Amino acid sequence: MPDMIQSHRNWALWLGFLLALGALLCNAVFFVNPPGKRAIPWLSVLLAGVSLIFLVRGLQRAFGQPRVYLGKILSSIVALVSLLLVGVAIFSFFQARAIPASAGAPKVGQTAPDFTLADTSGQAVSMAQLFAPAADGSQVVPPKAVLLIFYRGYW
Amino acid sequence: MAISVDPPEVSRDLCKKAGYTFTFLSDPNAEVIRRYDLLHVGGGTDGHDIARPAEFLVDSARVVRWVNFTEDVRVRARGDEMLVAAKGLR
Repeated sequence: MPDMIQSHRNWALWLGFLLALGALLCNAVFFVNPPGKRAIPWLSVLLAGVSLIFLVRGLQRAFGQPRVYLGKILSSIVALVSLLLVGVAIFSFFQARAIPASAGAPKVGQTAPDFTLADTSGQAVSMAQLFAPAADGSQVVPPKAVLLIFYRGYW
Repeated sequence: MAISVDPPEVSRDLCKKAGYTFTFLSDPNAEVIRRYDLLHVGGGTDGHDIARPAEFLVDSARVVRWVNFTEDVRVRARGDEMLVAAKGLR
Protein backbone atom coordinates (compact mmCIF):
# COMPACT_ATOMS: atom_id res chain seq x y z
CA MET A 1 0.00 0.00 0.00
CA PRO A 2 1.66 3.24 -1.10
CA ASP A 3 1.78 6.24 1.16
CA MET A 4 -1.38 8.22 0.37
CA ILE A 5 -0.42 11.32 2.38
CA GLN A 6 0.10 14.22 0.03
CA SER A 7 2.79 16.61 1.16
CA HIS A 8 2.25 20.34 1.04
CA ARG A 9 4.69 23.16 0.97
CA ASN A 10 4.92 24.79 4.40
CA TRP A 11 4.43 28.26 2.94
CA ALA A 12 4.08 29.91 6.37
CA LEU A 13 7.54 28.72 7.35
CA TRP A 14 9.16 29.73 4.07
CA LEU A 15 7.42 33.10 4.13
CA GLY A 16 8.79 33.59 7.63
CA PHE A 17 12.26 32.83 6.31
CA LEU A 18 11.90 35.24 3.38
CA LEU A 19 10.63 38.01 5.65
CA ALA A 20 13.56 37.46 8.03
CA LEU A 21 15.93 37.69 5.06
CA GLY A 22 14.14 40.86 3.92
CA ALA A 23 14.43 42.38 7.41
CA LEU A 24 18.18 42.05 7.17
CA LEU A 25 18.64 42.85 3.47
CA CYS A 26 16.59 46.07 3.52
CA ASN A 27 19.55 47.61 5.37
CA ALA A 28 21.43 47.49 2.05
CA VAL A 29 19.16 50.35 0.92
CA PHE A 30 21.27 52.75 3.05
CA PHE A 31 24.05 52.45 0.48
CA VAL A 32 21.76 53.96 -2.17
CA ASN A 33 20.86 56.82 0.21
CA PRO A 34 17.25 57.26 -0.97
CA PRO A 35 14.89 60.00 0.26
CA GLY A 36 12.74 58.82 3.17
CA LYS A 37 15.37 56.39 4.36
CA ARG A 38 14.41 57.22 7.94
CA ALA A 39 11.68 54.62 7.53
CA ILE A 40 14.07 51.77 6.67
CA PRO A 41 15.01 50.85 10.28
CA TRP A 42 11.31 50.64 11.13
CA LEU A 43 10.60 48.57 8.02
CA SER A 44 13.35 46.22 9.15
CA VAL A 45 11.85 45.58 12.60
CA LEU A 46 8.38 45.35 11.10
CA LEU A 47 9.51 42.61 8.70
CA ALA A 48 11.33 40.86 11.55
CA GLY A 49 8.18 40.94 13.71
CA VAL A 50 5.89 39.65 10.95
CA SER A 51 8.49 36.98 10.19
CA LEU A 52 8.21 35.69 13.77
CA ILE A 53 4.44 35.28 13.41
CA PHE A 54 4.83 33.19 10.25
CA LEU A 55 7.66 31.14 11.77
CA VAL A 56 5.48 30.18 14.74
CA ARG A 57 2.59 29.30 12.38
CA GLY A 58 4.94 27.24 10.20
CA LEU A 59 6.38 25.35 13.14
CA GLN A 60 2.89 24.63 14.48
CA ARG A 61 2.02 23.06 11.15
CA ALA A 62 5.27 21.11 10.89
CA PHE A 63 4.94 19.66 14.36
CA GLY A 64 1.19 19.06 14.02
CA GLN A 65 1.46 17.20 10.71
CA PRO A 66 5.15 16.48 10.12
CA ARG A 67 4.42 14.14 7.22
CA VAL A 68 2.42 16.75 5.34
CA TYR A 69 4.46 19.88 6.02
CA LEU A 70 8.23 19.61 5.86
CA GLY A 71 9.41 17.27 8.66
CA LYS A 72 10.09 18.37 12.21
CA ILE A 73 13.87 18.46 11.83
CA LEU A 74 14.05 20.34 8.53
CA SER A 75 11.42 22.86 9.61
CA SER A 76 13.27 23.40 12.89
CA ILE A 77 16.46 24.16 10.96
CA VAL A 78 14.67 26.65 8.68
CA ALA A 79 13.04 28.27 11.72
CA LEU A 80 16.35 28.48 13.58
CA VAL A 81 18.18 30.10 10.66
CA SER A 82 15.30 32.57 10.25
CA LEU A 83 15.34 33.30 13.98
CA LEU A 84 19.03 34.10 13.75
CA LEU A 85 18.37 36.58 10.90
CA VAL A 86 15.51 38.15 12.87
CA GLY A 87 17.79 38.40 15.91
CA VAL A 88 20.52 40.17 13.95
CA ALA A 89 17.99 42.58 12.39
CA ILE A 90 16.47 43.50 15.77
CA PHE A 91 19.87 43.73 17.47
CA SER A 92 21.18 46.09 14.76
CA PHE A 93 18.06 48.23 15.15
CA PHE A 94 18.72 48.84 18.85
CA GLN A 95 22.49 49.01 18.39
CA ALA A 96 22.19 51.71 15.71
CA ARG A 97 19.88 53.79 17.89
CA ALA A 98 22.02 53.59 21.05
CA ILE A 99 23.28 57.17 20.61
CA PRO A 100 23.87 59.63 23.47
CA ALA A 101 21.32 62.45 23.81
CA SER A 102 23.81 65.34 23.26
CA ALA A 103 21.63 67.79 25.19
CA GLY A 104 24.55 70.23 25.46
CA ALA A 105 25.28 70.35 21.71
CA PRO A 106 24.92 73.81 20.12
CA LYS A 107 21.39 74.51 18.91
CA VAL A 108 20.12 76.72 16.09
CA GLY A 109 20.76 80.35 17.03
CA GLN A 110 23.55 79.50 19.46
CA THR A 111 27.23 80.16 18.89
CA ALA A 112 29.27 77.17 17.76
CA PRO A 113 32.43 76.71 19.87
CA ASP A 114 35.62 77.59 18.04
CA PHE A 115 38.31 74.95 17.66
CA THR A 116 41.67 74.21 16.10
CA LEU A 117 42.36 70.76 14.69
CA ALA A 118 44.83 69.17 12.30
CA ASP A 119 43.74 68.47 8.73
CA THR A 120 44.90 65.47 6.66
CA SER A 121 48.29 67.07 6.01
CA GLY A 122 48.77 67.90 9.69
CA GLN A 123 48.05 71.63 9.19
CA ALA A 124 46.19 73.31 12.05
CA VAL A 125 42.78 74.58 10.94
CA SER A 126 40.53 76.76 13.10
CA MET A 127 36.97 77.80 12.42
CA ALA A 128 37.75 81.48 13.08
CA GLN A 129 40.55 81.32 10.52
CA LEU A 130 38.20 79.87 7.87
CA PHE A 131 35.99 82.96 8.02
CA ALA A 132 38.85 85.45 8.26
CA PRO A 133 39.82 87.40 5.10
CA ALA A 134 42.92 85.99 3.42
CA ALA A 135 46.01 87.07 5.37
CA ASP A 136 48.05 87.72 2.23
CA GLY A 137 45.55 90.30 1.02
CA SER A 138 44.44 88.13 -1.92
CA GLN A 139 40.91 88.44 -3.30
CA VAL A 140 39.72 85.05 -2.01
CA VAL A 141 36.29 85.63 -0.51
CA PRO A 142 35.78 83.89 2.85
CA PRO A 143 32.82 81.46 2.93
CA LYS A 144 29.38 82.56 4.13
CA ALA A 145 29.05 79.43 6.19
CA VAL A 146 30.75 76.16 7.00
CA LEU A 147 29.14 72.77 7.30
CA LEU A 148 30.54 70.73 10.20
CA ILE A 149 30.03 67.01 9.81
CA PHE A 150 30.88 64.98 12.88
CA TYR A 151 31.15 61.31 11.98
CA ARG A 152 32.05 58.11 13.77
CA GLY A 153 35.30 57.40 11.96
CA TYR A 154 36.62 54.17 10.48
CA TRP A 155 38.03 52.35 13.46
CA MET B 1 34.26 70.01 6.87
CA ALA B 2 34.34 66.57 8.43
CA ILE B 3 35.51 65.84 11.97
CA SER B 4 36.22 62.47 13.56
CA VAL B 5 38.66 60.79 15.94
CA ASP B 6 40.48 59.22 12.97
CA PRO B 7 44.16 60.21 12.68
CA PRO B 8 45.07 62.42 9.67
CA GLU B 9 46.60 59.47 7.77
CA VAL B 10 43.37 57.48 7.95
CA SER B 11 41.34 60.47 6.73
CA ARG B 12 43.88 61.05 3.96
CA ASP B 13 43.43 57.48 2.75
CA LEU B 14 39.66 57.88 2.95
CA CYS B 15 39.74 61.11 0.90
CA LYS B 16 41.97 59.48 -1.69
CA LYS B 17 39.74 56.41 -1.99
CA ALA B 18 36.41 58.25 -1.96
CA GLY B 19 37.58 61.33 -3.88
CA TYR B 20 36.51 63.80 -1.18
CA THR B 21 37.98 67.27 -1.67
CA PHE B 22 36.58 69.00 1.42
CA THR B 23 38.53 69.40 4.65
CA PHE B 24 38.88 66.46 7.04
CA LEU B 25 39.93 67.31 10.59
CA SER B 26 41.36 64.94 13.14
CA ASP B 27 40.26 65.02 16.78
CA PRO B 28 42.05 61.95 18.18
CA ASN B 29 41.43 62.84 21.83
CA ALA B 30 37.83 63.86 21.10
CA GLU B 31 38.37 67.29 22.68
CA VAL B 32 36.25 69.21 20.18
CA ILE B 33 33.77 66.36 20.01
CA ARG B 34 33.39 66.68 23.79
CA ARG B 35 33.10 70.48 23.54
CA TYR B 36 30.16 69.97 21.18
CA ASP B 37 28.69 67.33 23.57
CA LEU B 38 28.81 64.71 20.82
CA LEU B 39 30.92 62.10 22.59
CA HIS B 40 29.67 58.55 22.20
CA VAL B 41 31.47 56.80 25.06
CA GLY B 42 32.59 53.35 23.97
CA GLY B 43 30.77 53.77 20.65
CA GLY B 44 33.71 52.66 18.52
CA THR B 45 35.10 49.21 18.02
CA ASP B 46 37.18 48.01 20.97
CA GLY B 47 35.21 50.43 23.16
CA HIS B 48 36.87 53.57 21.79
CA ASP B 49 35.16 56.89 22.49
CA ILE B 50 34.02 58.36 19.18
CA ALA B 51 31.73 61.11 17.87
CA ARG B 52 28.05 60.45 17.43
CA PRO B 53 26.96 61.53 13.93
CA ALA B 54 25.79 65.17 13.78
CA GLU B 55 25.80 67.95 11.18
CA PHE B 56 25.91 71.72 11.83
CA LEU B 57 25.67 74.62 9.40
CA VAL B 58 27.57 77.53 10.97
CA ASP B 59 27.56 81.05 9.51
CA SER B 60 30.46 83.50 9.49
CA ALA B 61 29.33 84.97 12.85
CA ARG B 62 29.75 81.38 14.14
CA VAL B 63 26.00 81.13 14.74
CA VAL B 64 24.45 77.71 14.17
CA ARG B 65 21.86 78.04 11.39
CA TRP B 66 20.88 74.40 10.89
CA VAL B 67 21.52 71.15 12.76
CA ASN B 68 20.81 67.50 12.23
CA PHE B 69 21.01 64.88 14.96
CA THR B 70 20.18 61.43 13.74
CA GLU B 71 18.39 58.89 15.91
CA ASP B 72 19.97 56.03 14.01
CA VAL B 73 23.62 55.89 12.95
CA ARG B 74 22.55 54.34 9.65
CA VAL B 75 20.41 57.39 8.81
CA ARG B 76 22.46 60.51 7.99
CA ALA B 77 21.62 63.87 6.48
CA ARG B 78 21.51 63.58 2.70
CA GLY B 79 23.59 65.88 0.53
CA ASP B 80 20.48 67.55 -0.91
CA GLU B 81 19.12 68.26 2.60
CA MET B 82 22.37 70.00 3.49
CA LEU B 83 22.30 71.96 0.21
CA VAL B 84 18.76 73.16 0.90
CA ALA B 85 19.89 74.33 4.36
CA ALA B 86 22.91 76.11 2.87
CA LYS B 87 20.86 77.79 0.13
CA GLY B 88 18.41 79.01 2.76
CA LEU B 89 21.13 81.25 4.20
CA ARG B 90 21.14 84.86 3.14
